[in-house]
Amino acid sequence: MTPRIRVALLALAGVVLLPGAAAVITGLPPFGATIAQYGERINAITPEARHVANMVSAINFDLRGLDTLGEEFMLLAAITGTVVLLRGRRGEGNTERALRRPGRAVIPRSEAVVLVCRIAGPLTALFGLYVVVHATVTPGGGFQGGVILASGTLIIYLGEGYAGWRDAVRSHWLDGLEGGGALLFTLCGLAPMLTGAAFMQNIMPLGTFRDLMSGGLMLVENLGVALAVAGGFTQLFLEFMEETREADELDEPGEESA
Amino acid sequence: MSAILPLLFLLTALSGTAVVLVRDPTRQVFVIAVNGLVLTILFDALQAPDVALSELAVGSAAVPLLYLVALMAVRNQLPGKES
Amino acid sequence: MSVVSNILPYAVAVWLFGAGLYGIATSRNLIHLVGCLGVCQSATYVLLLGLGYRWGSIAPIFYDHPPGTPAVDPVMQALVLTDIVVGATLTALLLVLTIQVYKRSGSLDPEKLRPMRARQGSDRAEGSDRGHDGKRTVL
Repeated sequence: MTPRIRVALLALAGVVLLPGAAAVITGLPPFGATIAQYGERINAITPEARHVANMVSAINFDLRGLDTLGEEFMLLAAITGTVVLLRGRRGEGNTERALRRPGRAVIPRSEAVVLVCRIAGPLTALFGLYVVVHATVTPGGGFQGGVILASGTLIIYLGEGYAGWRDAVRSHWLDGLEGGGALLFTLCGLAPMLTGAAFMQNIMPLGTFRDLMSGGLMLVENLGVALAVAGGFTQLFLEFMEETREADELDEPGEESA
Repeated sequence: MSAILPLLFLLTALSGTAVVLVRDPTRQVFVIAVNGLVLTILFDALQAPDVALSELAVGSAAVPLLYLVALMAVRNQLPGKES
Repeated sequence: MSVVSNILPYAVAVWLFGAGLYGIATSRNLIHLVGCLGVCQSATYVLLLGLGYRWGSIAPIFYDHPPGTPAVDPVMQALVLTDIVVGATLTALLLVLTIQVYKRSGSLDPEKLRPMRARQGSDRAEGSDRGHDGKRTVL
């Protein structure tokens, strides 16, 4: 199919679908006039029922926790697929040490960059932890905090260079973090069943409203998500970086793991 | 307050279109990062701080980095291929 | 003005989705194509958050404001939140597939892709055949 035919087909589809889209748009409630009843009820009931201030976390980890479990396994599957594809040709043997490109010059980085990165890296990680643990009171949670934690490790890469980063970040630990986080979330669903409650029913003490320790089981689930997201994203960065390093060693596959 | 939201929506449409129209992937990466930033501001104005935080970390830091590394990986394949 | 602002978010969502589809249909580079798919995805964010917004409401976080203050729809925000993070990992998966395509066929142009053959282990040979076809690798 040539590009011209493809664009013509797309234009045809657009012309056919546009009246339908216009009808749907005019049928929707006007922007900003009202919200769905489900959200309204959640806003009204949940602060009393679950003792948490952040409704979004309450939905993610409690009211619709089963959906988040599904999302968690989508995340796990996507990252596993990426890592399998990247490692497939390279093999697992050489992931423990940094590969180097012979042709690329090593540019010395200035001491100011190293210093700034050594200060900013731990601070970013600290901010990520803050976002994770305050999931039930302020904006934030396992998903956002996990990504911020993973970005913190990238600042270490900026400051210490690739070899130093590989020394600090171990690939197998990241596998464990990612799988362990998903396992923790699943166990949070199964554990209440031992006491006769329903799957993922919030049986832990709910704590006080607006307190760090509020929300009961949500705190544990949030931790599981944070571990999985932080481990998964760091693993992605690491395997992608590794991919750029070994291009010149294509011809001697046996040499790589030696 | 009522004027800033429509402006932000229009800005989002503009930056999204720019991502499509910039054909060179190396330049597109930076447009994607800017698009992530615009979406972050829009989400914040829509009273969604959770989503804004997530989009800020993912859309303007993590994803552009993945694109950059993918470009680097593809470029490195060029000289050594079929040798 | 009021009619425009009533439907503007939905129109922007439709526009973004259409622009992303146009980019996908005309793209000559698979990495650019993945970026266009991201534009389609951002259309869903705009649509969902636009549906969940209400003028004069606060964010659905009752820390500074007492519970009972009118707030925007938290369900839409929870949907978009997980969508963004899981979508990023899917972007990574697509980029890896793109790198694999480049390694197999030596090109990032979707026009130059051929159906995979049933023969095993001849990927290298096919790659070099293509080089002799007079088609250049584009980047």
